[in-house]
Amino acid sequence: MTPLLSVSDIHVAYKAVPALSGVSIELFEGEILVILGANGAGKTTIIKSIVGLTDIQRGGISLRMNGSSHDLRKLKTHEIHRLGVTWVPEGRQLWGTMTVMDNLRMGGFAADPAETVQRIEEMMDWFPRLRERQHQLAGSLSGGEQQMVALARALIARPKLVLMDELSLGLAPLVVAEVFQLVKKVNALGVSVLLVEQNARQALRIATRAYLLEVGCVVESGLAAELATKRSVQDIFLGGHS
Amino acid sequence: MNLFLQQLLNGVIIGSTYAVIAIGFALVFTVLRVINFAHPDIFMVGMFGGLLCATYVTSNFLVVAIASALSAGFVGLALERAVLRPLRGRDTLMTLIATLGVGIMLENGVAALISPDVVAFPAVISRQPIDLGAVSISRPQMVNLLVSLGSLAIVSYYVRLTAYGRATRAVAERPDVAAAFGVNVDRVSQVAVVLASMLAGCAALSVGLLYGNAWAFIGLAYGIKGFICILVAGNRYFEGVILVALALGILEALITGYLSSTYRDAIAFLLLIAVLYVRPNGLFGSYTA
Amino acid sequence: MFGQWESLVIFTLLNVMLTVGVYVTAMSGQLSLATAAIAGLGGYAAAILTRNFGWPFVPAVLAGAVVGGCVGALIAAVTLRMRDFVLKLTTLAFGEMIAVVAFNIDYIGGANSFTGIPAYTSFWSCLIAVGIATYLAWRFDGSRQGFAARAVRDDVVAAAAAGISVLRVRVVTFALGAAICGAAGALQAHYMLIVSPQELGFFASLNFIIFLLFGGMYVLWGAMLGATVLTILPELMRFTTAYRAVLLGLIITVVVLFRPQGLIARVPTGVPRFFSRGKRATRPRSQ
Repeated sequence: MTPLLSVSDIHVAYKAVPALSGVSIELFEGEILVILGANGAGKTTIIKSIVGLTDIQRGGISLRMNGSSHDLRKLKTHEIHRLGVTWVPEGRQLWGTMTVMDNLRMGGFAADPAETVQRIEEMMDWFPRLRERQHQLAGSLSGGEQQMVALARALIARPKLVLMDELSLGLAPLVVAEVFQLVKKVNALGVSVLLVEQNARQALRIATRAYLLEVGCVVESGLAAELATKRSVQDIFLGGHS
Repeated sequence: MNLFLQQLLNGVIIGSTYAVIAIGFALVFTVLRVINFAHPDIFMVGMFGGLLCATYVTSNFLVVAIASALSAGFVGLALERAVLRPLRGRDTLMTLIATLGVGIMLENGVAALISPDVVAFPAVISRQPIDLGAVSISRPQMVNLLVSLGSLAIVSYYVRLTAYGRATRAVAERPDVAAAFGVNVDRVSQVAVVLASMLAGCAALSVGLLYGNAWAFIGLAYGIKGFICILVAGNRYFEGVILVALALGILEALITGYLSSTYRDAIAFLLLIAVLYVRPNGLFGSYTA
Repeated sequence: MFGQWESLVIFTLLNVMLTVGVYVTAMSGQLSLATAAIAGLGGYAAAILTRNFGWPFVPAVLAGAVVGGCVGALIAAVTLRMRDFVLKLTTLAFGEMIAVVAFNIDYIGGANSFTGIPAYTSFWSCLIAVGIATYLAWRFDGSRQGFAARAVRDDVVAAAAAGISVLRVRVVTFALGAAICGAAGALQAHYMLIVSPQELGFFASLNFIIFLLFGGMYVLWGAMLGATVLTILPELMRFTTAYRAVLLGLIITVVVLFRPQGLIARVPTGVPRFFSRGKRATRPRSQ
């Protein structure tokens, strides 16, 4: 089966400092793919490369959408979005000076306006707290609420692939569990998910497959259940092996 | 009392002119995160565009206004493509210097092609004053006020109520995320620059009519005042810039009327230093804070 | 000695000296737009001393330097909390205020300028002064204070965290640079035999920034080269005045577009942050 997203041997460096050295990743349609790694391993760099916000020195990224293969290195960020890819950035990155409603509207900027209105309604059914706070400035919401806005924003345009960067960062454990359940719900509707995380335990529970990234290289890959039992993963993330 | 009201009105008029220039700066400043030093000279080009139209083509006010707006807008468009876009993402100082170079070219080009001295502006509208009881206002002053307020209303409407305007604000606050949701940042920047330029062109026309003259090097004085307004207001809210500009105009008018005009220009600078000392990010804050 | 070229040579030397002053101030990240005003103040101070009080030349020039240094220290102190761009405009504001004040004080001639200054400046005094200024800048550049200055320029927070007193570094570099400018202003006053408030404004100051950036802001002799080239070049162009300026503008724009580091470049010790959008993990892709 051909993968939906195929990252082939990419090398990314900032001036003289390498961030990714020959990383290859495959994501298949309908799955939740998790990339694990400590801080600085290069996880956010992968996402930014896919979305076109970071220069790639070597390698390629291709997306299989609507029956044909698209070379993402040749496309601009807004064009990549229009293929059906959305982003939940690290740290939420909402537009703090705009209302929640405006943030959601921006999520549907490239989509049909009538559909966007409908989708916003749907999102507010999923996240009742958003309905309450829809006219508040996004910058005034709590961390968990902001995460919901960021997630909802990414779903407005009915994407085929959502890239999520460190969903759990800065959130209380209960909220984290809630958020991950939402990710499962989203995936159940047919949306493929690339999730980059430090919180291995929770992430592996909902993942289909996973990769482990260390200092810019892939060191482990496979089914989530398998990875959870591997020594390396246990040592680094799960607090030692049982 | 009459003097006070008259000066107040004068102040509002001057302030609103500062405001339109400052808004043009602010638009480019927030969306592209750069200072376009050529903006005051684009203002000047608009002034001369209107002047040439009025002298050689027609005195019809509307046509002259369109000529001003288009000439300024065209230069803005060219500037965006040739200078601003290639330098995007680099050190903002570079853009500053490059646009300064363009500004020098524009000023001296116009000075060479037309005249380096002050040139009379044809009277497209009569200078008859309109008596409003306690104060009187001339037609050019009225036009000035209307153009300024109209421009401000247009920008406010654009930025707050249209989808593209929303996208512009999104680009101003977080350009990467905006791009990731389908916003063509290049296009948005282009629109912002052209809009700012056209508004500056209209403002220039009304200023030319008001004082009855045009000068190739007029950009500098207005430019500095405009800068000061943006800095004092901070780049977070466009409306803040309008308020500061009006306040500055009123302050200058009152001090000129009641004290003396010699230190008038120093007021703006004093205000700048005072405000920035207390609030380095401007009165209303900035995005980078 | 140089016949008709003498004024060009002297002006070039003076411009180089002023640019060196701006370079020193810029070493700690403070790009001063008050240069012409500071130089003017130095000129007024020295001229008052020589014309009204009969002081000899060298002490008067030194007095000009002291005046410049004090003003520079003051500006640095006031702008301590300001960043980058805001800082530059505040220095501009200072410069303009000084200009307006100078315009209105009758003791120094007001709008009619300060005249009757004895002609003390010669090619040799300029050359010596430039030599001293360059030497000072060069030694400062390589010293520990110079290193601290560059650290402050590149990342104020990191420098402070490393125990560097940002206030002291900024004040010292501004004062030193401004002192050089003040001395240059004194020299200029005694060559032109006149100091006029019109010359103190923003546009004059901006010239020096252009020299600095054109020549390369991170290397001392890049700045000097920039000043030399941009002073001589317009003179060599034999077109009418207006078009000469247009060409100058074109050269500036084109150089910045195609060689943004300036003529002489050196990789800076860090990433200069003017209005950074926050840290990017890697280089942004051009859209």
